[in-house]
Amino acid sequence: MNNELLRVEELKVWFDIKKGLFAKPMYVKAVDGVNFTLNTGESISLVGESGSGKTTLGKTILRLYKPTSGKIIFDGKDISDSDLKDIKWYRRETGLVQQDPFGALPPHFTIYRVLEEPLIIHNIGNKSERRDMIYQALEEVRLTPVEDFAPKYPHMLSGGQMQRVVIARALIMRPKLVVADEPVSMLDASVRVEILELLKGIQDRHKTSLIYITHDLATVRMFTHWIFIMYAGEIVERALTKELLSNPLHPYTNALLNAIPDPNPENRNIIKEVPPGEPPDLVNPPPGCRFAPRCSQVKDICSRERPKEIEIRNKHWVRCWLYS
Amino acid sequence: MENNNLLKVENFSISYRTRKGDVEAVNDVSFELKKGETLAIVGESGCGKSSLARGLIRLFPRNIKKVEGKIILEGRDVLSLDEETFRKEVRWREMSMVFQGAMNSLNPVLKVVFQVAEPLMVHFGTDRETAFSRAKEVLSLVGISSSFAERYPFELSGGMKQRVVIAMALITNPKLLLLDEPTSALDIITQENIMNLLKMLKKELNLTYIFITHDIALTSELADRMAVMYAGEIVEISPVEDFYKNPSHVYTKLLLDSVPTLREDKDLKSIPGSPPSLIDPPSGCRFHPRCPLAMDICRVKTPPFYKIKEGHFARCYLNEGK
Repeated sequence: MNNELLRVEELKVWFDIKKGLFAKPMYVKAVDGVNFTLNTGESISLVGESGSGKTTLGKTILRLYKPTSGKIIFDGKDISDSDLKDIKWYRRETGLVQQDPFGALPPHFTIYRVLEEPLIIHNIGNKSERRDMIYQALEEVRLTPVEDFAPKYPHMLSGGQMQRVVIARALIMRPKLVVADEPVSMLDASVRVEILELLKGIQDRHKTSLIYITHDLATVRMFTHWIFIMYAGEIVERALTKELLSNPLHPYTNALLNAIPDPNPENRNIIKEVPPGEPPDLVNPPPGCRFAPRCSQVKDICSRERPKEIEIRNKHWVRCWLYS
Repeated sequence: MENNNLLKVENFSISYRTRKGDVEAVNDVSFELKKGETLAIVGESGCGKSSLARGLIRLFPRNIKKVEGKIILEGRDVLSLDEETFRKEVRWREMSMVFQGAMNSLNPVLKVVFQVAEPLMVHFGTDRETAFSRAKEVLSLVGISSSFAERYPFELSGGMKQRVVIAMALITNPKLLLLDEPTSALDIITQENIMNLLKMLKKELNLTYIFITHDIALTSELADRMAVMYAGEIVEISPVEDFYKNPSHVYTKLLLDSVPTLREDKDLKSIPGSPPSLIDPPSGCRFHPRCPLAMDICRVKTPPFYKIKEGHFARCYLNEGK
């Protein structure tokens, strides 16, 4: 397809945790064989529990980590193996919204300076052009009147306002791809909706592609085109949002959906069925399907052989022996 | 007083001294709690819900300025007791608490069984052997097998550590358990496991909970009654069914509108603005600067509690004459 922006093939990110010179090599297999494509202007929610590798995947796509193997192809160019100095252009094309706005902004920079920094680094515009861009970015995240906000320091802002600055910084270069890593998990419920809508609005307006990383399935509805479910370093199921929510196939997806409380007072009288145990150790993951030890529908083959990802119907992929 | 009332809080206020002025963290809070009942307290961060819980078990920070009101536990005002009596007779004997993030405060160099047994040895002077075997009983009750009892905290996962912390609060057989965000920082499936555990314990031990959280959807898993806090005050208190069906304070309505749901189509709304500073809270109704329906009277006079029906009260002028 010609509007494909990002293609990820068999991506693996293993972290070396070998202890000592002669010890056996040991790796944390944080991301282990991920495939997907993302078109211009589309968005993905990457959903998983902590330790499922979703942040590692997001950061590797931005080349903040180097992949162990596999390919990342952005706009037709393979950037998976490039040297960092050769992909400075890639930093202009991508943006990151961090989880913790309180830690993402340098405390001794004014908001103006925070937003000017990437423009200076990439040699964009002269002073007055930069000023226009900064004001425009602040307006876009609705930190108005901009003249009041620009000279402020981060500590003078509330959490929601800080997160807006972080979003403005990620978007000021007009990147084609933005990774938002749990952008609202540190914020109050009443502010979350506002920030998500802001992000969605900007994404729609500029046809930016977005990868939204979250553990909270309840916020992804109505927010992104795709949902990818990650478990123990693998994408176990991916489909368009509506399809996945109305037709979940993988037992892990079902368990995850089941665990989300709906605001209904009847819940207090019911004990829900929840898979026992914890996600596996990624140094030594189970040989077959990684969810097999906790799965209620486990078969013999599940603990022996790793299931392949298959497209079970149009644009709905699942990695599970129940369907192959 | 009815004899199935376990706890009655009357006009409870707490303020802290800071360099910028006095912070009225909890202002004139009153409620009752029956035996075996769960009250959930919800609100945004900084609304005073944690201050309230810590105040009930009398763990005040050093900069405490003023504590007023009554906390009547089974007919006795425990707020007027001196600290030594309270420590000996009430705290951990009558009421325990699961603190927010407590699972990260386990002592890394002590086996978990010792840490669970410790309150028993401290409060009841139980000998080590009895305390340890009782600790193992409680640990197995919360779903931790005896082989894990002999381990150190770093060998346990987050969910298991949370179970240990709950065991610690339960070992002295308290009647009232204060749960301050017991599942924050846990994954969704682990969270559901802990909620199941709390439900089971409630049934088996006939426990009374005060459950504090900012996650409204989660309260539906446990709460019989709901209290909504805003800027240090309880603005609405109601049976849980009425909380969803007939929210009667504007803030409660807006809060409910901001809860994302998975299975239901709805337009999410956010509440404009942010909670006020508690050093100099707004006059009248504390929510009026953010309230889309604010009237003149809201700005000047603090609204009284309007009775919507038995057990359902809301502090909002819009209920006048209804």
